[in-house]
Amino acid sequence: MFENSTDSIPIPKLGIGLAYQPALRPFLESRGDTFDYVEVVPDILWTDRGARENPRYIDDQAGIDFLRRVAAGRPIVPHGIGLSIGTAHRFNHGQLDQIEKWHSWFHFPWHSDHLAWNLAEHGIDELNAGVTLPLPRDRKTLLELAPRVAEVRRRLPVPFLLENNVYFFSMPGEEMSDAEFLNALSETTGCGLLLDLHNVYCNARNHQTDPFRLLAELDLSKVVEIHVAGGMEHEGWYLDAHSGPLPEPVWELLRYCLPRCPNLGGVTFEMLGSWFVEMGGDRLAEELLALREAWNRYQPSPAYLIEVAA
Amino acid sequence: MSTEVFQEEFARLVIDPDFRDDVRARGPAALGAELSTLERERLLFVAGDPGMDVTRTLHKGFRLGKLVGQLPLTYAALGKPAMAREVAEFWRLNPPTTFYYLAEAIAFCDFLIERLEQGMEANPYLAEVTAWERAGLELLRPRPEGEEAPLQLVEFSHDPLSLLAALGRGESPTLTERPCVMIGGYGDGKVEWRLVEDAPFLSSSRP
Repeated sequence: MFENSTDSIPIPKLGIGLAYQPALRPFLESRGDTFDYVEVVPDILWTDRGARENPRYIDDQAGIDFLRRVAAGRPIVPHGIGLSIGTAHRFNHGQLDQIEKWHSWFHFPWHSDHLAWNLAEHGIDELNAGVTLPLPRDRKTLLELAPRVAEVRRRLPVPFLLENNVYFFSMPGEEMSDAEFLNALSETTGCGLLLDLHNVYCNARNHQTDPFRLLAELDLSKVVEIHVAGGMEHEGWYLDAHSGPLPEPVWELLRYCLPRCPNLGGVTFEMLGSWFVEMGGDRLAEELLALREAWNRYQPSPAYLIEVAA
Repeated sequence: MSTEVFQEEFARLVIDPDFRDDVRARGPAALGAELSTLERERLLFVAGDPGMDVTRTLHKGFRLGKLVGQLPLTYAALGKPAMAREVAEFWRLNPPTTFYYLAEAIAFCDFLIERLEQGMEANPYLAEVTAWERAGLELLRPRPEGEEAPLQLVEFSHDPLSLLAALGRGESPTLTERPCVMIGGYGDGKVEWRLVEDAPFLSSSRP
């Protein structure tokens, strides 16, 4: 069980999810036996034309219809990119309107976004950095996030998760470690955690820290979803490139977490569509089935079985 | 208030290399007066950190990938060095404002066409190719329900079929004169083109 602001919401044990990318459509249609739910960045299935346009948002109806068809009764779980919850100058209410509409369509069991920001004030307009930028791990940041998380939770009757970010620099004078900050965030705001183990691995590798220490210090009871992915080296940095199968160190982190996350609802594999050609459908299926095997071995409840329409 | 300024300047460190260089060179003098001491210290640290360079590389790679992905033939017609030069100038004038890059690709086409009209040196078919890709994106621009995409007319002086096909194959095209118009429309979820020769509205058909 996981607490939301008003009631205890049971987290369904969904099992293994695959992150939607348009390039994965043939795989999603033909290999429904390898995943239990579909995670979607909903922002790629609408266009935000900006605050001055009416209507502001145009939904990609063909994409949404495809999702409905391919999900065939499986849960659709949104993982937003556009909330920019840490942006100081405004809160993205339009994004919340869109997510609320999606909830009326898909009745998802939880939803998530990034513990980050990408929008900044700039004259009469805004800058969009196009990448998720880290927030300082300070009490001040928590105070600024709290009312926003509260509003998200008030608007949607399902748990809201925030995902730990990847970052390539730390900032001087930060008051908390990653684990302390995530614990304080979930404790003070009531949000759940989307624990991206590949981000944990990236940060540990780039900043020479111990990822297991972070996990040991983290309140894993707040983790509702885990992300896993592959990455790549670039000029001495390890990037969260979503570029293929999980490297062995990420498997090790997953094997550590699976038996220790009592409220875990699912493990989602993320891969950019452009890497699908290189990885291939058979290798992707193999990876998903290996994830399911790990899920079945370590999770206290069996994977949530869904009846798939013939 | 100072958090807003902190984030604006942080985002500019990622987006704007001139600003980052200015902060590296001039230190606190390049930053806003409203910042707290800690915020100023953080921006100065991050501006000089190699992690900022990789963050900028990711930002640039993502934004450039969206542009090139939507304008592959314009990119092929321009070539890599000219594309890098033109994109850098376009970005200097147009900071990123959205995750939705179709509008940015259309604006880049307008920028290029204007540069060509002002005398930018380029091969003789760049304007036609850019106008054609721009028109295709205009047809794909998301519109409210019930609003139809307007027909697009693109005038060519060279045979568009061999020109576009050669660029698509990554080859240098052999130009054949063929004054014509490509008319593009959107229906059933896709863009369709029709080639019309000897059209009365062709500038080459006018007396």
